[in-house]
Amino acid sequence: MRVLVVEDDALLGDGIRAGLKLADYAVDWVRDGEAARLALLDHRYQACVLDLGLPKKDGLAVLRDLRARGDALPVLILTARDTSADKVTGLDAGADDYLTKPFDLAELQARLRALIRRAAGTTMPFCEHAGVVLDPATRRVTRDGQPVAISGREYALLHDLMIHKNRLRTRAQLEQSLYAWGEETESNTLEVYIHHLRKKLGADFVSTVRGVGYRVGGDS
Amino acid sequence: MADAPRRRRPASLRRRILRLVTLSTILTWGLATALGYRQALVDVQELMDGQMAETARVLLAQAQHSSNHLTDLPADMASMRGTKARRGELALEFQIFRSGGSVLMRSARAPALPLDGGLGYADVAEGGTDWRSLTLETADGALRVQVAHPARSRNKEALEIASNAALPSALLLPPMLALIYFSVRRGLKPLDDLAADVASRSPENLAALPAETAPREAQSLVKALNRLLDRLTAALDNERRFTADAAHELRTPLAALKVQAQIALATRDPQQQGHALAQVLVGADRATRLVEQLLRLARLDPIVRLPDPRQLDLAEVARASADEAGSAAADKTLRLVVPEEPVAVSGDPDLLGVAVRNLIDNALRYTPPGATVTVSAGLEHGEPLLAVTDDGPGVPTEELQCLGERFYRGREASAEGNGLGLAIVHRVAELHGARLEVENVEGGGFAARLRWAQRAEAPD
Repeated sequence: MRVLVVEDDALLGDGIRAGLKLADYAVDWVRDGEAARLALLDHRYQACVLDLGLPKKDGLAVLRDLRARGDALPVLILTARDTSADKVTGLDAGADDYLTKPFDLAELQARLRALIRRAAGTTMPFCEHAGVVLDPATRRVTRDGQPVAISGREYALLHDLMIHKNRLRTRAQLEQSLYAWGEETESNTLEVYIHHLRKKLGADFVSTVRGVGYRVGGDS
Repeated sequence: MADAPRRRRPASLRRRILRLVTLSTILTWGLATALGYRQALVDVQELMDGQMAETARVLLAQAQHSSNHLTDLPADMASMRGTKARRGELALEFQIFRSGGSVLMRSARAPALPLDGGLGYADVAEGGTDWRSLTLETADGALRVQVAHPARSRNKEALEIASNAALPSALLLPPMLALIYFSVRRGLKPLDDLAADVASRSPENLAALPAETAPREAQSLVKALNRLLDRLTAALDNERRFTADAAHELRTPLAALKVQAQIALATRDPQQQGHALAQVLVGADRATRLVEQLLRLARLDPIVRLPDPRQLDLAEVARASADEAGSAAADKTLRLVVPEEPVAVSGDPDLLGVAVRNLIDNALRYTPPGATVTVSAGLEHGEPLLAVTDDGPGVPTEELQCLGERFYRGREASAEGNGLGLAIVHRVAELHGARLEVENVEGGGFAARLRWAQRAEAPD
């Protein structure tokens, strides 16, 4: 799951990035509205954490641009503006959620989880397929009730595949979802992670669509 | 208790108008009645004089014609003495006498009028009564007739006529006053509406009052109120912006502190934990600085003038501030340019030091590594000057005027700052009677100057 964090404050931005990384998100962090606009144009994210008072371009303007393009990306506004008028303005500009500073890291993570599963078209708080259950809240995976030890990247990949159950995920989509800027992707790492997942969850759990990508569930 | 001042009720426009109109109405009515009485007096006089003349001529003719039968006359003339029962008839008395003076005949209640009174009309006082009399004589002058009636009855008559005219309008007075009362109430209703309109305004609704529906007399009031509402709106907007900015500046470092602390607790990676804890310290420092700046501003705000100004040397202030900031310069060069001789102004060296350090801070903060920051003091055109100049990228022109607003940070600003520094400098300058000038330097860089203007300011 790749998330864009737009926050001009160095200390807070650094904190949010670290906090979301702890939850195995791939995090891109930009510090002004213009950079946010460009990032949103160039990359597919699963969610965006957006501050409002930004240099160069206001957060609300960034949000309106995004919605004007018809982009349905889940956006959570994270701001110090806490009046209900501000919240109404933010939500009506197209935000999906609104959180005021200071906030709890756990709450931010939970809200992002909710936004992401909603955007994937499900209301279930956990993903389930063929006896494998993935709980985003605890980042635990079980197979037939038995816990499965799984690395951060493997978890992120599995989460992506399971939340898009029965749908084809291309290599490019998966790589974009897995790696933030500046994180090296070697050409065969995706295959390595898929291999690990199959070893832990069963060879048939992830099916390969040759030359295109991977899929969990659905016709093979 | 006796000394307790009585609260004065504010003057009511409605009462005032009511009182004035009522008084005027009553006064006008009274005047009309008085004039009517006067006119009635004149009219009654003419009427009575006419009747007297008629009677006198008849008597004279009678007396001349048949002086033998004069004895019968008083009886004949009895009807001339009007009775109460017959209004309009005059209580006429008469006497007939020879020109020599001997009375031939007189009515029973005739007064003992002086006979030497001349011919024609006369007002005579006799026996405690005022009389109106007419004396005529025959063509040969042998006989004279004098007819008289008491002036009292004439006044009574006039009064009666006048009151007959005044009474109906007196009866009309109360309904008229009631009408006036309702008219005034109704006429002043637009004012009540306006008051209700003003009363409905609140911080949430400061919309301008509708000038077109207000009465013309209230137009200037409405316009003044609208101007006030405008200023109030601006002030409130300003306040809201300040609060929003302050909220942002205060909450963001707290949010950062909290997140970093939570990461330090959550992570199992010692390196990440160390980083997060170091960030907590940075955040605490920043929050401390913010609080200090806010307190400084809060303390400066209520001061009208410097509590204890004294002669000081700006060169010394510049030198001390530069020394203090030297360690923070790190990868930048801090230069000091001051003259040999002191640059004297009156003021508070500590506050000026705070101002200069804020300016140096800003310069160091907003310039790239390798930049040179120059602190200088001196005289320019005889005006004391304290300046901090850098050779950085400068400030976008459209943002220059926003500098010094609290919490304003440049749109391009990515460096840490709380937007209070220049606000503090601005306030210190104000207290010193100095001007804070901010501008981009030709050839790149930004300059902030505190300038003590000469008393007589020359136009540019």
